[in-house]
Amino acid sequence: MSIQVENNLGNGDNKEVFEQRAHFIPCKVEEDGEANVKKYFEPYITDDSGDLTATFRGYPLDGTKIALPEGYRAVIATETKRPLAEDADRRFQVAGGFKEVIYWNWDKKPSKNDNLTKAMDWIDIAAAIHGD
Amino acid sequence: MNSLEQLQDYIKTKNNSRNFINISDVPEVCKTEPCMLGVDEAGRGPVLGPMVYGIAYCPVNKNSILESLGCADSKALTEEKRDEILLKMFTNDDAVNNVGWAAEIISPSYISNSMYKRAKHSLNEVSMDSAIKLIKRVAESGVNLTEVYVDTVGPPEKYQARLSQIFPDYKITVAKKADSIYPIVSAASIVAKVTRDHCLKVWHFQEGLEMSYKEFGSGYPGDPLTKKFIRDQIDKVFGYPSLVRFSWSTAEVMLQGKAATCTFEDVDDDGQTKKANTKSISSFFTMPNENGTKKRKRHKFFEERYLSMKNAFE
Repeated sequence: MSIQVENNLGNGDNKEVFEQRAHFIPCKVEEDGEANVKKYFEPYITDDSGDLTATFRGYPLDGTKIALPEGYRAVIATETKRPLAEDADRRFQVAGGFKEVIYWNWDKKPSKNDNLTKAMDWIDIAAAIHGD
Repeated sequence: MNSLEQLQDYIKTKNNSRNFINISDVPEVCKTEPCMLGVDEAGRGPVLGPMVYGIAYCPVNKNSILESLGCADSKALTEEKRDEILLKMFTNDDAVNNVGWAAEIISPSYISNSMYKRAKHSLNEVSMDSAIKLIKRVAESGVNLTEVYVDTVGPPEKYQARLSQIFPDYKITVAKKADSIYPIVSAASIVAKVTRDHCLKVWHFQEGLEMSYKEFGSGYPGDPLTKKFIRDQIDKVFGYPSLVRFSWSTAEVMLQGKAATCTFEDVDDDGQTKKANTKSISSFFTMPNENGTKKRKRHKFFEERYLSMKNAFE
């Protein structure tokens, strides 16, 4: 099977599309699709010199901004319809991208011990092992 | 404050997802004469809107002023009558010169967030904290407090012990239905109730919903309008606008049925994250791996960082 990612949105000049803000929520939400982030979530974010707070479904969240590692960019890809056959070719469309992630913990200040932050170590190690 | 419109305007300037305090000037006489202070809350039960803590204080010998204002069991008063009494507290000379008041507006977001903390902070604790904060604030502004009367829904003994410990110099009385016994508590109750009513009247949905209090009702779970609101105003992902107390079972149950399922990490009673490290009993009876080879374990580096090989397009 091959995986194809098409981009009909241009080379990324469009800031509104390619420089969106992603939120990493400490909660498994069993739903895929668009979400009213701007209406229901972002109005409630407070920023005390970089220490962020917000609320999701009544739960208190503590957050921090995480920049993407240098040289990387984040792309959102969507698939209109997943083929039924396991080994069929898959086609994805680029739907946008983001430059910034806000990482949220449930009632716990983000730290370097958080899983996502720890996983990011791999980026540097990988460059050292596999890079030129 | 000179009118209820001014009260509404003041509420409108505040962010309704945060707590704030509205407080009167201190009448001069209260700085010298020994004073009594009453505490009561409004909106403890509703699933919608803030809870408001109110206090009122005046010289011990000025009960007559409270009675002439009409301060009596606030539950027996109509909404119009309560509005009228608060307006008198704002404008009537006798009242302004003798009776001071304050209200803390505790936002529904704050309530849900407190109850959904890792170490749960109950509504009783939120209530006590608010009462203590308001009493301290009044004492610090120079009021000569000697007696404190508190209306409570919960067990009075615990509350009384806590307050006596914090304020050993005051004569403290915590009682159920204090609202209908002590006029100063009735006054506090009116401050709290009217403030809450007006908070709902001017509620601005930051979610962009155009809806007035006439459509979402009193906020009590039994109110048909509130029931309809809780049933209809659901966002699949985010649940409800911040007017709703997510931690109320009415809201929880509705979301379980109608919104996307959300699972936060599991926490047991000590506030510790659960770890499943006990093997299930059946695991001792299964056959070992067929050809006997163990799956190669990945390096600790990956394990510690929760990294594994996955197909990103799965």
